[in-house]
Amino acid sequence: MKLAVVVQRYGADINGGAELHARYIAERLSRHASVEVITTCARDYVTWKNEWPAGVDQINGVTVRRFPVSRERHPIDFGRRSIRVFDRMHSVADELRWLESEGPASPALVRHVERAAADFDFVLLFSYRYYHAWHLARRIPHKAVIVPTAERDPAVGLGIFGPLFRGVRALMYNSPEERAMIQRASGNQAVPGIVVGVGSDVPSRTDPARFRRTFGIHRPFAIYIGRIDENKGCGELFGYFRRYAAAFPRGLDLVLVGNAIIDVPRHPRIHHLGFLNDRDKFDALAASDLLIMPSYYESLSMVALEAWALGRPVLANGRCDVLKGQCIRSNAGLYYESYEEFVESLYALESNGPLNTRLGRNGLEFFERHYAWPVIERKYLATFEQLAKRQPVASMEALPGWFARRQRHLEPARDVLARIPSGAVLPANKARPNDPEGDARRSA
Amino acid sequence: MSDLSIRSDNVDVEQIMRQIRARIREKRGVDYTEEEIRELANVKLEKFLDPKGVRSDLLQQYRQAREASLPPNYKFEDTTLFETHRGLLRFMRKLLNPILKLFFNPNPLIEALHIQSKLNESHAAMEPLHYELMHNLVIELTRTSIEVKNLKMRLESMASRLDFDERRARALEGVVQYRPGATTPLQPPTGANDLDVEGNERRQRRRRRRGRRRGSGFGRDESHGGPGGPALARNEPHADSGAPSSAGSPQSAQESTFEPRDSDAPERTPES
Repeated sequence: MKLAVVVQRYGADINGGAELHARYIAERLSRHASVEVITTCARDYVTWKNEWPAGVDQINGVTVRRFPVSRERHPIDFGRRSIRVFDRMHSVADELRWLESEGPASPALVRHVERAAADFDFVLLFSYRYYHAWHLARRIPHKAVIVPTAERDPAVGLGIFGPLFRGVRALMYNSPEERAMIQRASGNQAVPGIVVGVGSDVPSRTDPARFRRTFGIHRPFAIYIGRIDENKGCGELFGYFRRYAAAFPRGLDLVLVGNAIIDVPRHPRIHHLGFLNDRDKFDALAASDLLIMPSYYESLSMVALEAWALGRPVLANGRCDVLKGQCIRSNAGLYYESYEEFVESLYALESNGPLNTRLGRNGLEFFERHYAWPVIERKYLATFEQLAKRQPVASMEALPGWFARRQRHLEPARDVLARIPSGAVLPANKARPNDPEGDARRSA
Repeated sequence: MSDLSIRSDNVDVEQIMRQIRARIREKRGVDYTEEEIRELANVKLEKFLDPKGVRSDLLQQYRQAREASLPPNYKFEDTTLFETHRGLLRFMRKLLNPILKLFFNPNPLIEALHIQSKLNESHAAMEPLHYELMHNLVIELTRTSIEVKNLKMRLESMASRLDFDERRARALEGVVQYRPGATTPLQPPTGANDLDVEGNERRQRRRRRRGRRRGSGFGRDESHGGPGGPALARNEPHADSGAPSSAGSPQSAQESTFEPRDSDAPERTPES
């Protein structure tokens, strides 16, 4: 079997969610099939500036072919077009211009994959919202398998993506919430779709004591790993934690791992360690009492999975459907939607050793059952086998004509998104249709 | 802050969240949410601003003092500059007014002084309200500081009790978790504990009976006993070292109650 993995950026040092996801999948699938990664020369996801040389490279034993980006992104232009399509009535042409402006526009990459498509059994397209995914899914729909990595953001409500989701061979979702959202937005129930997610290379042994020695952290602590950004809910986390710290002088400290985009408050119980290598990161996770995930929007939290793989419970933002759903399905984490819930949940996890241990144990079981690499690999390979046996069901819908494309009759994407039901997807035995606390809004 | 009770090995996160929310609702009886505090603050402020609802000696004293010390307000109209009790002079001034306006324009000056006079008036009208507010703030502040003192004392007392409880819980947890050969401290609720207690009593009665039989001269070696002998001998070590001892420990009861963990507690090793 020969597979192509197409992704907007690719590199051993790129830690972005979808890009890391793509690299892990490419490296794992290369054990079972011939895999070639096709990507751009960009390293920076804001500008898409060409930083790597075009051509063929090898990264961790996988062939990587890079193509230059034709133009860098202009943030002002992109912002203006985003307002147009997300907040106002607009046309299909507006959406296409938005896609072009978002980038990374690489016509050379698209042409190459289209020409070479016959050599591949399937082409895995990562991140539905980018230029490469849209153009390739339209050109080679019978080979295209999309890994959407979709968050609950207005881009899901854009009209150009509906035909995409309805016309490809299959979709590999990250979570049941993501699947429910995309199915509701595009009506693509007929297209094969499976919830897979991604595993993680969690070391079999960790050394929490080494971490404590190295970084001089001796008190029990909760950990946050990821970009320290307002969009990731860190502002709210800092506010909540400062109040918690005032109320519980002997409670947990907060350790932050990752690059800071916003200012980290100066507080004796908040320790910002910056970006850490994998060894330090996993040791830190193992040394922690729990992981806090304050993000509002996640397609799949790999850090949460890593915490569960190490037997650590998670305290997640309950307003993120995916995280809340994972906590409920795994029985391995608590969630909060207000300060009171934050402090009570944190206190419960901190003070309650056996509860903490049980949740951690559930997390480990959940990880091994759903996200261990053999499980992930088996799901991908089984999907490819099944797809190879059957003919494509759907075909890609044609774009509207020149005039129709310019009619501003499409609703603001934000309004479309607002109509898509939100909430965690629960197993059928847990769903309660009239749940007063709003836990169960959909049944899987 | 009360503790969560987990009644089985199969933790249900939704159940825990419901417990947590119920606890938050309970706490609101004495502890307010941010929104409620804001609401209460608004209500009280409105009350302060209602002069009918306030009686204050301090206010009266202040008023008297102010009235005694402040000069009266000066009314300033457009004719004030030219006023005089002499009719001829008033007429002359009016007549020469256009000539005066050749040298400077008195209108802005008149207007400004007029506004100032109005401002003085309105300021004087606001004075009682300001002082009612101040007076009541002083009362509230005094009341709050007394309450804070009381709460501090209660907090200190609770902190010392909590410290004691933490140390006790840590000690118990350490004993149960790390004792070699003990069963897992967290048992699923099987309702078997009552049976175990009854079973122990039965076993003890059997042992007493066997002891009496041995003492009465039967003299049989236990290892060569009757049909029940070897089986009983096999069961005894398990009965002694396993269920009964753990059934007696607090952790193995159906309900495990969890208490705060000490900050200097021994570090847990990761599951991995």
